[in-house]
Amino acid sequence: MGGKYDVIGGRARRVDAVDKATGKAIYAEDLRFVGELHGALLQSPLPHARVLNIDTSRALKLPGVKAVITHKDVPATRYGVSPARYDETVFAIDRVRYVGDEVAAVAAVDLETALEAIELIKVDYEPLPHVLTVDEALAPGAPQLHDEYPGNLCAEVHQEFGDLAAGFAQCDLIHEHKFVNKRQDGGFIEPQHSIAVYDHTGQLTLYSSTQVPHYVQRTLSMVTGVPIGKVRVVKPYVGGGFGPKAEANPLDLCASFLAMRTGKPVRMGYTRAQVFLHSRARHQFFHTMKTGFKKDGTIVALAHQCHLEGGAYSSFGIATVYYAGSLLGGPYRMKHMSYDGYRVYTNKPACGAQRGHGCVAARACFEQQLDIVAKQLDLDPIEMRLKNIMENGDVTCNHMSMSSLGMKECIQAVQTGSDWQEKRGKLPPGRGIGMASGFFVSGAGYPIYRSDTFHCTVTIKVQEDGGTVLVKTGAAEIGQGSDTTMAMIAAEAIGIPLEAVRLVSGDTDYGVDLGAYSSRTTLMTGHATKEAGLAVKETVLTALAQELGIERQRLDLKKGLVQISGEPVDFSALRTKYIKEHRGWTDHPDGEQLTFTEAARVAFLKHGTIVGTGKYKPPVLGGLHKGAAVGTSPAYGCSAQVAEVSVDLETGQIKVERITDAHDCGQAINLTSVEAQMEGSVSMGLGETMFEEVKFDKDGRVLNPSLGEYHIPTVLDMPEMKCIVVETGEPNGPFGAKEVGEGAIMPTIPAILNAVHDAIGVAIDELPLTPERVLKALAQAKQG
Amino acid sequence: MLLPRFEYHRPARLDEALAILAQHQGQAAVLAGGTDLLVGMKHKLMKPAHVVGLEALEGFGQIQEQEGMLLLGPMLTASALAGEPGVRARATALALGAGVLGSPQVRNRATVGGNVCNARPAADMCVPLLALGATALLQSAHGAREVPLSEFFLGPGRTVRTPGELLCGVKLPAGGPGVGSGYQKLGLRQALEIALVNVAAFVALEDDGQTVKTARVALGAVAPTPILSPGAEAALTGQVISEELIRQAAQAAAADARPIDDHRGSADFRRQEVLVLTRRALQQAWQAARQD
Ligand SMILES: Cc1cc2nc3c(=O)[nH]c(=O)nc-3n(C[C@H](O)[C@H](O)[C@H](O)COP(=O)(O)OP(=O)(O)OC[C@H]3O[C@@H](n4cnc5c(N)ncnc54)[C@H](O)[C@@H]3O)c2cc1C
Repeated sequence: MGGKYDVIGGRARRVDAVDKATGKAIYAEDLRFVGELHGALLQSPLPHARVLNIDTSRALKLPGVKAVITHKDVPATRYGVSPARYDETVFAIDRVRYVGDEVAAVAAVDLETALEAIELIKVDYEPLPHVLTVDEALAPGAPQLHDEYPGNLCAEVHQEFGDLAAGFAQCDLIHEHKFVNKRQDGGFIEPQHSIAVYDHTGQLTLYSSTQVPHYVQRTLSMVTGVPIGKVRVVKPYVGGGFGPKAEANPLDLCASFLAMRTGKPVRMGYTRAQVFLHSRARHQFFHTMKTGFKKDGTIVALAHQCHLEGGAYSSFGIATVYYAGSLLGGPYRMKHMSYDGYRVYTNKPACGAQRGHGCVAARACFEQQLDIVAKQLDLDPIEMRLKNIMENGDVTCNHMSMSSLGMKECIQAVQTGSDWQEKRGKLPPGRGIGMASGFFVSGAGYPIYRSDTFHCTVTIKVQEDGGTVLVKTGAAEIGQGSDTTMAMIAAEAIGIPLEAVRLVSGDTDYGVDLGAYSSRTTLMTGHATKEAGLAVKETVLTALAQELGIERQRLDLKKGLVQISGEPVDFSALRTKYIKEHRGWTDHPDGEQLTFTEAARVAFLKHGTIVGTGKYKPPVLGGLHKGAAVGTSPAYGCSAQVAEVSVDLETGQIKVERITDAHDCGQAINLTSVEAQMEGSVSMGLGETMFEEVKFDKDGRVLNPSLGEYHIPTVLDMPEMKCIVVETGEPNGPFGAKEVGEGAIMPTIPAILNAVHDAIGVAIDELPLTPERVLKALAQAKQG
Repeated sequence: MLLPRFEYHRPARLDEALAILAQHQGQAAVLAGGTDLLVGMKHKLMKPAHVVGLEALEGFGQIQEQEGMLLLGPMLTASALAGEPGVRARATALALGAGVLGSPQVRNRATVGGNVCNARPAADMCVPLLALGATALLQSAHGAREVPLSEFFLGPGRTVRTPGELLCGVKLPAGGPGVGSGYQKLGLRQALEIALVNVAAFVALEDDGQTVKTARVALGAVAPTPILSPGAEAALTGQVISEELIRQAAQAAAADARPIDDHRGSADFRRQEVLVLTRRALQQAWQAARQD
């Protein structure tokens, strides 16, 4: 490295790597509690029905059953993600709205008994007509899901920025493009699992596979009525989340109610099929974009419409429908933009947030359209993008401020890195090359509920013996590497080596942290960690300065050693004092410089336990229009990718051969983790492009609820990857850092689509690119 | 997901195994690698009271060659078949099919006996075996019989095997000079794919090196069982092989396919792929036949 930093910017080995590689890492399902019970859920077999009667008597009589609960046993409190749309209850009260809706739960001595008891519960349903698609749901006279939201409209958005009519009037070319993706599953490896423990003092502790301990804590308290101060949520290691785990789930709630009722710890877990029923993953989006251009390729105006197939409940959907429009404000300069978005209820599992929340299909549609138009205008798609690109300091027409934006640098990096110039237009039939760009928030500017809360607080305690520090954060390590990142930031801020930092995280007892979503942790928790680290350093060095009788300003810490500027200082008395403290120990410091260990011990002797705290809340961000809270962020990360594909023109099978990927993360904290996020994003984007689709039969049942039939990419499907990390230094980020978790997925789908367009001469506007869809497109092209 | 309760038997001798099967007629399931059986049991598709493991039976994992025939033990795994030079040379299509079944972990467990008895229309070893002209060797406490694979499959998951019978081997003519086979599989992913369409082809040439003596084309995922294409066989047999002949045979195979529309693909699409894959499989087979 040799750069300005000692710890960050390097390739630290992840603090969890060895535990995970050796199977020692503890996930929720690995936890064991004395006397624990096993819970199971009864879920609706029908997509829409009135619940006439629930008879639990036979289940209750089964030996080993400890509790059976239905809506009669729990409060009717409505909950959900956005307070604006609390539309869920723990159990169906009078109606079930999708195959999988929760009707009852059981706790028993073992899982076998619990599952048997579930089968003994008798529910009388009166089937109701159901709607499975946007068209069905919006048809006049369609069956209605929620009385409060007529027309099956969960949410609608209407926005206009600039002056659309005036914009279009200036255009030489207006193009209209439609695009549709398919409903996704999160495809994380660890199905949700929750264990609730309710103790004699009335404290409820929940161990859950979640991305958001904080929000789960709030929902649990709100629904169970246990005071929030007595609800603790602990997140063990989590095997991926990608969005669907960013809200309290039925297991969290049911396990808690069952634990409170039985006084025993209760565990509940989803099977893989139940993961598909809980869903909360990517929506299906139907986009129509009418975009106006000047002859030279200048983008002028966009009129955008989108319908989202939402499923039976809102989940994150209110944010999703806003995101689907707002992030088209960049990364190209465009003065006029309108958006009409509709999220529609259907009798299917609820969709929610998934990596690239709300934006990836919109981005795919827009970037595909740019390629089509570039062709019509006879412009190189890269040159056309560069012509319109935003730079540092630009503000979008919908008031998002690009405090740093290395978009141009990313595009140029992939242009060079992929040998674009040598390949574009020069590949044999069936081979193609395409590119796309995109960007994403680096942390939502506002919490999901309205509040002035800090988004995160971090405490760093110096261990009393000196030498090591303990970082405590509520941040959620879900596999993305935040534990290592925070440890590195703490080490850098204090001026000690990474090995001197211990870290505990993912527990609401450690402080407030909104969790792992909207690519917020590195920037936000990073700020709080840095602040706490600087506070520790200040206290320790102030105490040391007093002890040495010199000014504080003369002292600094670097790599665990005290730097003293100016005249040499005789610290032998202090060292002797330290050694006496640890009489009999063999590893006494004897170097030329005082160590952090000595300084920290001296500080402890003076003040008692040394603690530094940090906090973060974004500054007031731009935009006063309705929905401005969705999309505003203290910073934006951006990406460009070039994809190269080969298409078998006879079978329609596509292979993505190579992806050249550049991402601006401001400043890499751990370079290896940045690249891993880039590769992971490509893998997820490639899956959505090529294979993934949750399918339903006409009765609303998932046809492919397994990872055998829902095809996420295997390692063999991954292209050769070249990752280029661009660092622009984000003024609003800790040490200049911003996101890489979601911005990196933005270009993947359209880059592949554009490469396929280049390879076969047809732009395919529907995902996934199955051989069948490709053959159909080829046949249509042949017919002209 | 939990396995239903069952009693496990681990016979060390064949007669013992057959006796257990005879005793628990219909109540016992045979366990080879378990990659189909255990998945099905966890999904409660079957709840056998007895499970009879074949792991301890001697000789069930062997390959023998006698009188121009290859004799495959039912417990041979997909990875063993894919890697075995004798199989690669003499039953190429089978080695190719076994090599693309599932993933490395699955291939290490999945057996040829399990693949055949499980009888899925797209099974990666059934389709090649059908093209290679294989015969199932069945044995029960009451005796033994041989059933050509072309008569073995009845429907998805259904075969002529009775509950008391064990598949004790698969027999097929060993390839040699002038004989070749090929295998083509179309899926979405590069691994862990049940074929959308798969095709195996077998060609034996006369001594002149160009007239087709025997040919068989087997199609997967286009009927309730893996099927042979009589049309392709008729188009090829007795003719001088050429690219054009192969094209005609492929057309005949597409006409013989009886695909349906389902959520994995439409019938039209499958038929179209049969055409392409048959051509490629036959080219592979011809290439191999010319090489020896
Ligand atoms: C993740 C995964 C991926 C897969 N991918 C593929 C694939 O790509 N292609 C493919 O073709 N298959 C695939 N399969 C299915 C399966 O692996 C194969 O069918 C395999 O060959 C079955 O062999 P087994 O030894 O595991 O059979 P088992 O599960 O042990 O048995 C299968 C059936 O055959 C019966 N049986 C087994 N041996 C005998 C015998 N000797 N006599 C009588 N009955 C017997 C059993 O009772 C059972 O009904 C996959 C399975 C999984 C879990």
